[in-house]
Amino acid sequence: MFDFLTHDTLAVIWFFLWCVIWGVYFIVDSFSLGAGLLAPFIAANKAQRVQIQSSVGPFWGGNEVWLILAAGGTFAAFPLVFSKMFTFLYLPMMLLLIGLVIRGISIEYLHKDDNPRIQKAFTWGWFVGSLLISLVLGVAFANFFKGLEIASGVVYEGSLPGLFGPYALIGGVLFVLMSVSSGALWISVKTEGAIAAKAGNLAKKSTLIVPVLALVYLAYSFAGIEGFKANYSAMPVLYILPVLAVVAAVLAVFFAKKDKGFLAFCSNLLALLFIVQTGLASIYPYMLKSSISPEYGIDIFEAASSHMTLSIMLGGALVFVPIVIIYQLWVYTLFREKIKETEQVEY
Amino acid sequence: MVDLLLLSRLQFAITVAFHFLFVPLTLGLGLLVAGMETMYYRNKSETWRKMADFWGRIFKINFAIGLVTGLAMTFQFGTNWGAYAEFMGDVFGPPLAVEALLAFFLEGTFFGAWIFLDRSRQKLKAFSMWMVALGTNISSLWIITANGFMQNPVGYEMAADGSRVIMTDFFALLTNSYVWYMLVHTLLSAYLLTAFLIMGICAYHFLKRNNNEVFRKSFRIAVAIALVTSVLLPLLGHSYAQYVAELQPAKGAAMDAIWESGSSLPMYLIQVPDSGTGSNSIELLGIPGLASFLYTGSFSGTITGLNQLPQDELPPVEMVFWSFRLMTMLGSLFMIEALLGLYLQKSGKLYTSDKYLKLLMLSIPLPYIAITTGWIVAEVGRQPWIVYGLLKTANGISSVPASDVMLSIVLISALYLVLIVFEIYLIKKTVVNATGVE
Repeated sequence: MFDFLTHDTLAVIWFFLWCVIWGVYFIVDSFSLGAGLLAPFIAANKAQRVQIQSSVGPFWGGNEVWLILAAGGTFAAFPLVFSKMFTFLYLPMMLLLIGLVIRGISIEYLHKDDNPRIQKAFTWGWFVGSLLISLVLGVAFANFFKGLEIASGVVYEGSLPGLFGPYALIGGVLFVLMSVSSGALWISVKTEGAIAAKAGNLAKKSTLIVPVLALVYLAYSFAGIEGFKANYSAMPVLYILPVLAVVAAVLAVFFAKKDKGFLAFCSNLLALLFIVQTGLASIYPYMLKSSISPEYGIDIFEAASSHMTLSIMLGGALVFVPIVIIYQLWVYTLFREKIKETEQVEY
Repeated sequence: MVDLLLLSRLQFAITVAFHFLFVPLTLGLGLLVAGMETMYYRNKSETWRKMADFWGRIFKINFAIGLVTGLAMTFQFGTNWGAYAEFMGDVFGPPLAVEALLAFFLEGTFFGAWIFLDRSRQKLKAFSMWMVALGTNISSLWIITANGFMQNPVGYEMAADGSRVIMTDFFALLTNSYVWYMLVHTLLSAYLLTAFLIMGICAYHFLKRNNNEVFRKSFRIAVAIALVTSVLLPLLGHSYAQYVAELQPAKGAAMDAIWESGSSLPMYLIQVPDSGTGSNSIELLGIPGLASFLYTGSFSGTITGLNQLPQDELPPVEMVFWSFRLMTMLGSLFMIEALLGLYLQKSGKLYTSDKYLKLLMLSIPLPYIAITTGWIVAEVGRQPWIVYGLLKTANGISSVPASDVMLSIVLISALYLVLIVFEIYLIKKTVVNATGVE
């Protein structure tokens, strides 16, 4: 299969797919994360909390699988990167894992017991899990774009505090903030009544900060991060990515203000997608960039699996990713009704 | 300083054993609830609706933990088994990625749909549950395909520098006979576990003289499944064990603690192995030739003993032996309980057979123990190899600070402890209140 493609070409295609899968994960999970970040603060009562839960309940599980696919795809297509990425960032990855466990259980168990204290605990669990996930992922990806302290012979010299530099923190806060916007807009679109209005108002404020912080982050990336500009100088057309990111973020402000929640939601997702892609485009051909010296990084050609594995995986992805997208979109259409506050169903 | 290898193995053992407490019930109950949903859609009988509600609720509580703890497995191949991931990625990564693509998306997406679709859209609700059940069962094929390579490497070649394996035949990975022996064994035991859980819960209500149609019908279905699976498991398990013994002689010899090579070897009903002396310290009630028969299919067959195998490639014999014994003994008990259950149910004495009903309730944890010990035989029995004959477990770990691994073990264990306590509380509450049934 795909014998007409060279191994290097396959590696490049897989890098591209890898960027797509991560991009999809970031945007589809952003609104479940945002809903979790907001739930303890904007729900005035149980009925409103049920509304928030029901707005993401049918979707979050399927969306999280994009993260598993991203991890599994990295394992299959670039085993060396998979190994080093998770080993170097051992504790952050464990925090991410714990965040994912707490988040998932909290959504599912939120109202399984009638005790209000248990419900409250799970509401906060949902918040803590969502915060851990969005913060760790934001910080981790900013570090990937900046480069990890990888020395000669793929030796990692970084430390845990070293991962929390100013650039990474901005990245982390930006992802948290964009998730909040995403979640607020989603709730405002998917629900009716007081909670929808409250979320809509909150989205107007949070979307306003996004373009400012995104600009700071992008300016820092291009001006302050070594090697970030290289691919952009070589291929100026790539500048379309950060430009689109900023345009989309500004459009989100505009639409939110006009109470066009769904368009604002989509714009916010696009802004997030393009910010992630701006960073990913900067590191090519490296997947684990070294901040010590470029040649110490791990590039896609070195990390790629065999021709056969990459071909089979490509075939599988080309057939099944579209099928997955189709049935996931179909499930969204099954739940297109707005969720009312009176609805008191036991989940 | 605690050994990094030991910590890495401990963490993997904790997370995989915990995860697998929830998987078997998901595999079996998913199919049953899907069937109940369809039956309700077809004939609108309230009994089927109540059954789908009640068992569906238990499914939900159980599935949620299986879903989130599965992530730990994927993560750990990178965090703790980095050297293994690099060595095996080319072969091991694809089944995992395909598992996500074909199975996890299906179960993840349709689990949410099934929960939130109300009964006014019963057809879609039933369809969603079938997709969940399909996803979970497909998932087992792919993860066992990955595990099958660790047990019996096929369809690969070594890289020129010996640093990793390279896939040469994807089809061979799937047609690996180990995969199919293990898949059938795993699925049957998952269905058996489900059947015993249902029977145990029904027994609780029968004891309370709550002979609701929901529980009577559930019991009838479960006892049939219990009987079929408990009979098939030892029958097929026998050829599985024979196959394993041929493939991995050390694991095979350890399962019955056969120390010295020989032919026409007996099997001892009471036996205590001692790896310190390389012999059994107690051997009583030997059945002549039975061990030879079980291993080779002939009462005069020859088995290679542990003392004649390479001494640096032996698994921990006691652990494998006792796990295997416990599993097979429990297996026999399951068959007796299932037969008795069918008899009592057919003769109408079931609802008043308090002793049997109490036994069923106490038996709920037993299939869990049997499955865990089965995995210990499969995985510990393969030691010291992580990939049989190709890579030693000691060479598979990531070089991370042992203190980090210690920290993650503590955090994960604490979290899992809270989860299981709350999970059992929720299931117990659902069962005692018979939520949705009254």
